[in-house]
Amino acid sequence: MNELSRLQHSHVVTAACQFTEQVPHARALGIQVVSVDRDQVRMRLTPQSWMFAQEDTKEICTSLLYSLADSAGGLAVIAGAMELMPIATLDLRMDYLRPANGDRALLAVATCRHLTDQVAFIDCDIFCEADSELLATAKATFMRNTHGQQFHSNGLKKNSV
Amino acid sequence: MSKTDDLAQQRSRAAESREKCADWKALLERIPYAQHLGLQVQCGDAVVLVYLPCNETLIGNFMLPALHGGVVGALIELTARVAAQSKDRDKRCPRIIDSHVNYLRSAKAQSTFASAEIVRQGRRSSLVSVTCWQNDKSKPIASGQVQLLLPTIAAEQEELHDS
Repeated sequence: MNELSRLQHSHVVTAACQFTEQVPHARALGIQVVSVDRDQVRMRLTPQSWMFAQEDTKEICTSLLYSLADSAGGLAVIAGAMELMPIATLDLRMDYLRPANGDRALLAVATCRHLTDQVAFIDCDIFCEADSELLATAKATFMRNTHGQQFHSNGLKKNSV
Repeated sequence: MSKTDDLAQQRSRAAESREKCADWKALLERIPYAQHLGLQVQCGDAVVLVYLPCNETLIGNFMLPALHGGVVGALIELTARVAAQSKDRDKRCPRIIDSHVNYLRSAKAQSTFASAEIVRQGRRSSLVSVTCWQNDKSKPIASGQVQLLLPTIAAEQEELHDS
């Protein structure tokens, strides 16, 4: 990455992280952005008792891993494309390899595998943060530049992306 | 078929639907995350639905506004789980192995409904297809397929050995 694109990327990333943290559902789940590289995003989810799959177990409901993968995947599209345009999930496929223990934080690592003008292909792995055990894998495709208003943060002018 | 037969059949179908409805409600109540999302069971004449009332914490895009893709995914997974468990003779608690959701239309910040169709219920696994819609059932916003694993019960296996 040259100096200019690095600067552009950091602007986009800052704005995208702000945007992600403002998403009401991500806030409600307590999803945190851990890091954003050019095409790789890390996000953390700390389990709470209302996230459990069953009254009598401490296993996290798979749907929380699903939401985490969708959130991390969306930010990976923006990081990979280096532009803040609205996107929409086209499809998402999850494989749940192991049960997720309710007293350990989850870490999602989403990678933007390929971008076309209209579509982004994303892989996402979800780990148990404490022991790096792989809990679930996801594959998603996102539609880029979906209709609607272009969003931008206060610190980012529309022309700069 | 005589009219009395017709009537009797209708009544038994209605009784079946009521039973299924009560069953789904009880199963959904045992899932903490389903309770947190506010999922409810709604009973039609022939079909049981899961209903997700909209609230601000479910929003994924506040510009449109639209529901978070993960919320739609959760509605699909939890509906599939309840459908598979309700269908199982022993009401075994299934484990979701995988799920695949296709997003068909933008999910507005509105009430959302889901209905399940069991594609195949086996002894060890279940494949459930779920459709979600908002104000128009003929315009689904998402559809998904969920594979679930039913735990094998040791006692049941013993029974099989005996026979």
